[in-house]
Amino acid sequence: MANGKKEETMIELDGDELQFSFPEVHHFADMSISFQQTLRIPDDGTDYPLPPGFRDFPLVHVDDYSENVPYSWIEHGGVMLPMYQSEGLWTCFSGRSHQKTMPECKGKKYKDSILQFPEYPFAIKVATGKINALTGDLWNERLQKDPQDYMVSTEQPWLDGYCVEKGIIRQFVAMPLGAGYTAEEQLTGGAQYGGLQIIAYPMKKESYERLFPPREKPVPYSDECNFPIDNRKICSVKENMGLAPGGRMKQGIFQDPFSIDDWDMDHKSRCFVHIVNSLMWKAITGKNPPNLPLLAVHYEYYGLPWFEYYDENAQPIDGSKKLETLKSVVEMGKEKDPAPLPENESVEPKNIVELFNELANNQVREGTGW
Amino acid sequence: MKKVFGTYIRKRRESLKEKDRQYSLRQVATRIGIEPSLLSRVERGEPTSLSELKILSLAQDLGEDADVLLALSGKVSSDIQEIIRKRPQLFAQLIRDLKNLPDHAVLRIVREVRDGKW
Repeated sequence: MANGKKEETMIELDGDELQFSFPEVHHFADMSISFQQTLRIPDDGTDYPLPPGFRDFPLVHVDDYSENVPYSWIEHGGVMLPMYQSEGLWTCFSGRSHQKTMPECKGKKYKDSILQFPEYPFAIKVATGKINALTGDLWNERLQKDPQDYMVSTEQPWLDGYCVEKGIIRQFVAMPLGAGYTAEEQLTGGAQYGGLQIIAYPMKKESYERLFPPREKPVPYSDECNFPIDNRKICSVKENMGLAPGGRMKQGIFQDPFSIDDWDMDHKSRCFVHIVNSLMWKAITGKNPPNLPLLAVHYEYYGLPWFEYYDENAQPIDGSKKLETLKSVVEMGKEKDPAPLPENESVEPKNIVELFNELANNQVREGTGW
Repeated sequence: MKKVFGTYIRKRRESLKEKDRQYSLRQVATRIGIEPSLLSRVERGEPTSLSELKILSLAQDLGEDADVLLALSGKVSSDIQEIIRKRPQLFAQLIRDLKNLPDHAVLRIVREVRDGKW
């Protein structure tokens, strides 16, 4: 603002969420991405349901700790978060619907009317160590529809790992960069980047207005005018870490139902998310990292919920052959380390909660009781 | 400056004293650890000054904003001075740029997540 560039595309850090906004594209073109601390599912070949989200990982600007982080991080810019070795993470994409009150629609029956504008869609690419999490290809900033290398925020509320088969991912698990476990190291032989890389493209304004017309909702006099306008958010040592493929999980990465031409390639925002070993987090930031999450076996012991997500109208994309060939942390560990994943005991999830797209606004994927 | 600060303190203290006698000059001075005569001179705007620590204690005792009282006494809190000293050019420029903006605009300042080269 100080330099008068208020309307520029930008990413802001709002609490522990990355807020993407494109006011120059459309007034409603905004969304947020957060990173959820979760339990690590067992890496035992079983296809597990979705684990819960316990809390947002804390995010800070790397620039705020420039004296304590490697120079390459300052060069990359962006933010950083703390993870313990072998801890799991999932990314949460949250759009926001908007509304306008139309008092001119006031009548005998209705006190006024509200126009609800659906959340603005974004095409989002996610990479770890500059390896695309859907295709296994090296990072590039173009959108590619076949094979699809991005997700659509309105179709895909979460991404928990690498897309290794149709409807199956391997969980993102933090491992030290340089130990050979990460997808980056397995595919490139190098340990240069680590972390997560994200780029988001908004839908073109004309496409949004054509494909997502506002819905009018009359407000009866008996109502308290408190429509749920939100939210698709079905959710609320070595220092440098990367992400490696962990246990298998049932999660479809859904096909883009729109045309590639609906995406506004002229506008994009990207962010490098560095991952710091939690044991180093306090030394770098002076703040305590989050506690370790529950182990899967303890979570199951307490009968806490797992999740399965359904969207009858969406089709999952195929998995990546490149990513399918990656060794999981346990498989790699058999060659390197006798126990890279402590406490990898198998569990049989019994309390499975089914979540459906578009059915309810109060669905959450959160764990409790820890 | 000292006169403004002293008058502000005295009015605030006397206003509180109307409802609660604990806000007599003597009792307030005792609670913040100074002589009543010193507080009396401060309130009259006489040439004397309170340390930053005592002003912070006074702000807490009177339920006032510490930064406001420091500013009225012609001081800037040491933590803010330290922030500016770390990046003097940046913050000096920022403050000059923001000087004439209305409050609501200053409150809406957001910070961009900087993208680098990767």
